Amino acid sequence: MRWATRAGIHIDRAACAWLIRRFVDEHAEFVFVADPREVPPDATPFDMRGVALGHVGGDCSFETILRSYELTDPVLWRIAEIVHVADLDDDRFDAPEAPGLDVLLRGLSMTGTDEHTLAVSGPMFDALYEYHRRRTLLGRDPA
Amino acid sequence: MLSYRLPREPSAPRTTLWRRLRRLGVAQLADGLVALPADARTREQLEWLAEDVVAAGGAAGVWLARPTTIAQERELAVSLAAARAAEYRELAEGCRSAAGSEPAERVRALRRMRTEWRAIGRRDFFPPPEREAAAAALRSLEMATQTAEAR
Repeated sequence: MRWATRAGIHIDRAACAWLIRRFVDEHAEFVFVADPREVPPDATPFDMRGVALGHVGGDCSFETILRSYELTDPVLWRIAEIVHVADLDDDRFDAPEAPGLDVLLRGLSMTGTDEHTLAVSGPMFDALYEYHRRRTLLGRDPA
Repeated sequence: MLSYRLPREPSAPRTTLWRRLRRLGVAQLADGLVALPADARTREQLEWLAEDVVAAGGAAGVWLARPTTIAQERELAVSLAAARAAEYRELAEGCRSAAGSEPAERVRALRRMRTEWRAIGRRDFFPPPEREAAAAALRSLEMATQTAEAR
């Protein structure tokens, strides 16, 4: 399936792309567009104005996708808190990882293409997932 | 620029919008009209706010606008810098008063001040001289906290 989002991706879109490929559609292909009108007819748009998979009622797109696809994994919801704070910067959750992740993603958008950002941030989100998976299992910070 | 019109009631969406605009550090040009220096990030943030306004039963639009005179542009930058300057002054004052408090309270205050420093920095598009003064006050508070720990 094809998925489309705005070009010049940052934290929310990078995290959504990772989420989609890992938990929704392993064959996902991503298209980056400058304008909503350029979204191909067969692609599902996300993190764009006026689409279903966008910011909804104070939630960022990552949270909206979790809700839409009924993903209840608590580790994903923990990552959602980090993405939310990094993206919206509203202190809704305690997410000390957020400012660091925000800076890294910002830097990636300066040094490479959107494809490159996805290629690099994918393993970063995998790592974040594994860390928080262990943390959830242990009930404390893993060594 | 974001133009918006929200119903008077309910007041919750108005309050939320107002809080978000404040966090972004917008310049209020008129009732229902705010501006930010244009970049990809500010534009996106205003677009999401426009979306929220529409969802709350209002009307909103995001515009790319340019003042017709340099003077007008400067005036806008000066007012934004002045708003941040006031926040930096308050931060510096907070750091100075925290320096005299109990060590435990000082550590808590330091954490609060660092968060506040980052928050102001994110909406600071035209750094005023007060930024440096606030940075120095924050450093003094850090030093005071470390010295207390070393004892």
